Amino acid sequence: MNDLLATIGPILASTIRNATPLIFAALGGMFSERSGVVNIGLEGLMLISAFAGVVGSHATGSAWVGLGTGLAAGLAFALIHALMCITFEADQIISGTAINLLALGGTGFLMVEVFGTGGTSPRVSGFGTVPIPLLSGIPLIGEAFFDQSLLVYLMYVLIPITFFVVFRTPFGLRLRATGEAPEAVDTAGISVARMRYYGVSLSGLLAALGGVYLSMSLLSAFTENMTSGRGFIALAALIFGRWNPFGAAGAALLFGFAQALTFRGGQQAIPPEFIQMLPYILTIVVLAGFGGRAVAPAAIGRPYRKE
Amino acid sequence: MNPRRMLGDAVGALLFPIIAILIAFIIGAIIVLATGNNPLVAYAALLDGAFGSKLSLGRTLLNTTPLIFTGLAVAFAFRAGLFNIGGEGQLFIGAITAAGLGAALGGLGPLTILLALAACALTGFLWGALPGYLKARFGAHEVITTIMLNFIAINLATYLALNPLRGKGIVPGTGDIDPSSLIPPIGLGFGQANYGILLALFAAVVAYLLLWRTKLGFRIRAVGLSPGAAGYAGMRIGANTVLALAIGGAFAALGGGVEVLGVYGKMTIPFVSNLGFNGIGVALLGRNHPFGVVLGALLFGGLASGAQQMQFATDVPLDLADVLLAVILLFVTATKLVELIVGKRARALAGDTRLEKGLGS
Amino acid sequence: MTENETGGGATGTESAPMVLEMRGVTKTFGPVVANDGISLSLHRGEVLGLLGENGAGKSTLMKILYGLYAPDSGEIFIDGEKVEIRDPKDAVRRGVGMVHQHFTLIPPLTVAENIVLGAEPRRGVSLDLNRAARATEELSERYGLRVNPRARVADLSVGEQQRVEILKALYREARILVLDEPTAVLTPQEAEDLFGVLKELVADGLSIIFITHKLGELLGVSDNITVIRDGKVVDTVRTATTDEGALARLMVGREVLLQAERDAHAGKASGEPRLEAEDLVVRSGTGAVAVRGVSLAVRSGEILAVAGVDGNGQTELAEALAGVRKAEGGRVSLDGEDVTGLGAEDRRRRGLAYVPEDRASKGLVQDFTLAENNALKTYEEPPFSSKWGWIHPKAMRKKAAENLRAFDVRPANPDARAASLSGGNQQKAILARELSGDPGVIVASQPTRGVDVGAIEFIHRQLLEQRSEGKAILLISLELEEVRSLADRIIVLHAGEIAGEVTPEATDEELGLLMAGGKSGGSS
Repeated sequence: MNDLLATIGPILASTIRNATPLIFAALGGMFSERSGVVNIGLEGLMLISAFAGVVGSHATGSAWVGLGTGLAAGLAFALIHALMCITFEADQIISGTAINLLALGGTGFLMVEVFGTGGTSPRVSGFGTVPIPLLSGIPLIGEAFFDQSLLVYLMYVLIPITFFVVFRTPFGLRLRATGEAPEAVDTAGISVARMRYYGVSLSGLLAALGGVYLSMSLLSAFTENMTSGRGFIALAALIFGRWNPFGAAGAALLFGFAQALTFRGGQQAIPPEFIQMLPYILTIVVLAGFGGRAVAPAAIGRPYRKE
Repeated sequence: MNPRRMLGDAVGALLFPIIAILIAFIIGAIIVLATGNNPLVAYAALLDGAFGSKLSLGRTLLNTTPLIFTGLAVAFAFRAGLFNIGGEGQLFIGAITAAGLGAALGGLGPLTILLALAACALTGFLWGALPGYLKARFGAHEVITTIMLNFIAINLATYLALNPLRGKGIVPGTGDIDPSSLIPPIGLGFGQANYGILLALFAAVVAYLLLWRTKLGFRIRAVGLSPGAAGYAGMRIGANTVLALAIGGAFAALGGGVEVLGVYGKMTIPFVSNLGFNGIGVALLGRNHPFGVVLGALLFGGLASGAQQMQFATDVPLDLADVLLAVILLFVTATKLVELIVGKRARALAGDTRLEKGLGS
Repeated sequence: MTENETGGGATGTESAPMVLEMRGVTKTFGPVVANDGISLSLHRGEVLGLLGENGAGKSTLMKILYGLYAPDSGEIFIDGEKVEIRDPKDAVRRGVGMVHQHFTLIPPLTVAENIVLGAEPRRGVSLDLNRAARATEELSERYGLRVNPRARVADLSVGEQQRVEILKALYREARILVLDEPTAVLTPQEAEDLFGVLKELVADGLSIIFITHKLGELLGVSDNITVIRDGKVVDTVRTATTDEGALARLMVGREVLLQAERDAHAGKASGEPRLEAEDLVVRSGTGAVAVRGVSLAVRSGEILAVAGVDGNGQTELAEALAGVRKAEGGRVSLDGEDVTGLGAEDRRRRGLAYVPEDRASKGLVQDFTLAENNALKTYEEPPFSSKWGWIHPKAMRKKAAENLRAFDVRPANPDARAASLSGGNQQKAILARELSGDPGVIVASQPTRGVDVGAIEFIHRQLLEQRSEGKAILLISLELEEVRSLADRIIVLHAGEIAGEVTPEATDEELGLLMAGGKSGGSS
């Protein structure tokens, strides 16, 4: 019994740490997809931001500058996706796949150029844990939830903010409308392209937070392909959570919990590979369950062309 | 068909790929300049490394082989109006099938190759049928399910390679396949290139014949171009969806099998990655036509092998090749951009590279 | 053309100030001149009917007014001031509101959200949904546009959705309201309600442009009517001084066809019933019951026409008869054999030809060649394929060339893509495929919709010819003239049921009553 209690705290803490980058990226994906642009490139957006954050921090010694460069890189790559999908009417799936490959190849290339070698970057200063007084003292869960990096606290705040923005503001109404029926939005005098640029840009910034958290909080260095599929798990969380911030965060926590279990027990019955599969299997089950189509923004993936 | 129209079609078909390739190489040149190197020197080395000698040509063919298979996986499904993003996972399924069976069958010689490849095609077929079934039965969009199945396949293959099929070697992976049961090298100075390339070319011909010379292909193309009209003509949309993705899966899996039987002799973990994703670019460069896929794969394969020479001749990291491939993929469907360059005609020419219906409906 | 300043009309609108004038508006799409120097004017409190056939250029003109298209030349004046309308935002700012033929609503959002989209009431940074709902309620009470502001648009009836569209324009303080074919989707009752609302609106000082190709409904609701044909204004007439006949002549510009031909062939219906339906119940794609217990029989040598307002179950009836949609209940028989459980393919083999109403997406694979389209249903049969699964493109091309010539499809080139043909020629290509197999039964759903006059005549002639060869033909049509001139018997479909059966001699009033759901006393 005592053993069990003793493991709950660390497992919860690990759950939060695993879920944080997923939640950032999933919230980002939501902005993009709610505007009608599929973002399969979340993985790449996280990866390039993780790298750029480390470069910024390495160059200046300041984690905050790293955060800034990470956000800038995420935004820049998101804007490439936006330019392709919205302005050039490229296929959104293809553009997203290209963003992933570009981030992978680009970080590989830049690792050699910047740090002189592939593999792993030098250690840089990042965002360590900052316990919140009182709250972190709560038994069992206090340490797990409230002795974390500043970015984790930012994540806590961003979930309700995202919900408010999407469902309670004029901007959110327009964003959702753009993802559902761009023709209607156009005739209402709102620029579909502008709303989609906003949506994709926000996805870049939020995914960047996820990437920076990976390389500057979870670790303090960049390693090649360090996102290792997290962008796709975030995509799964987004779908699993039905394009809703709380739903996506809940799904990300579930997936993070599954990962936490893998990392902990060395000799449990279920092989780690099967736990890694879990988010994807669950997402497929959910997609099959509710038909997939009924809940996705109706105009998602379709370029909008003015007549 | 009259010759003039055929010529027009050919030029039109090449327009998107050519513009994408040009843009990629211009961006590449800027990057090379930024590293303090001469782009002309770098590109000369790239070309030399890709096609300059028999040896480099052999290396290019080696790189090209799996890309033809994964490109066909995308192109075949595309003709049925489906986006198969699952080539990566399907290739892993094929690889683990070939590795497991190849090692288990021991030294049956060429018969092993035949049996292992047949098994690859079968497991790939079934794995590919899965998203088809999910779409036909539940309406789950194939783009999302194939992405998810990629990671399921990779993890499944990894588990199998590291646990039940784990070999004795130091390198993590499956057991070694008997050398007599491997696809033999071509020799003749082509280095490591093996007869897998012939299998890939054969697969492209099969894909072409299936699509344009059989009832099955007629159905698949009709369903792909107009599910409405195909349905009204009495064709079963669901069955064709399943079949097209399943056949696509078989192609990708054969790619994995040929890699294992021709190059590695076993499945190492981590296994070579992104062949499936690059198959998407290969298919789009080839306008989703089997023979176009061969050309696209040759370009991608050549870039990959030329990059090594380039890194040697200049100090540009060979990852530049990956960047170029990504940029090509980024631009190869940019309809509006091509329209800005060549005018409105571009839209009609975009037909073979895009599915406009979106993911929502 | 602008005889409007003559003043003193019965309705009094001509003396009211002019709110909108369009002068010499021209718009071309490639070689097609959609609007050719069109001029019209609209006064305060006036309902102006804009009348013309499909494709006459009405919608294009209004899209120009709403800033969706830029005109090639011409001027627009609003309240006497020359304006340039670059986008819908400009139009809205100038007081122009538009209710499109295809609604521009967002189904998952609520009524209030739809209405305020783009001009949202705010409280701080957030969206003030309560105020949006209140504003909606106020407007809907004022003009009798009943609708629940908090309902999801997806859950509303078509009539209610149209009200939301009108409210959207009113919320943006539109003074010029354009309604594009507003009654096309409405039941007669809903249309009456709409006309009532329009009266309220003009009484309140709004001006309305009412676009339609149904001339009858304009007589009751409009003050003046501008008639457009082939992109040009033919005339503008005072409603009070015109009648349907005069309008029809202006609109069509030709005498109505074919009356004589039918008589020459009539009365040969003698044969056995070949296509029968008994108590047929069919659901539409949305799950609603679209056909409610329809029974009918088509005999050889006759054309049975199904008339009715669009959306009363015609599509589903045809699909269920052809076997592309499953019947929920009832029976379908071909030549006495129960084929209810069989699909389209098996029914075709038993001699049923089907011309679907949606030519572009259901009749043809647009990116297939004509040869491939010609073999779309028979590709598995010799000579198009062998038993080993191979197909023979050469045989397909040869057969297609024969069919295309026989049905006067231009170009008669089997290698041409279907998409490269005009609508009329596409339809002829479909007929070529369907009729060349010598079917015994033909189900033709709106075969002449949206095709040119030449093709209409050709198609009519083909159907009459098939009838005299003893085929049994079921013709679904929305055009009363077509129904009257071709059919031997007419059944009228309303809300998925047969409202009654009449002869081609029935008057407009009789047919109109049935189409509105009034049961006829006599035959069933």
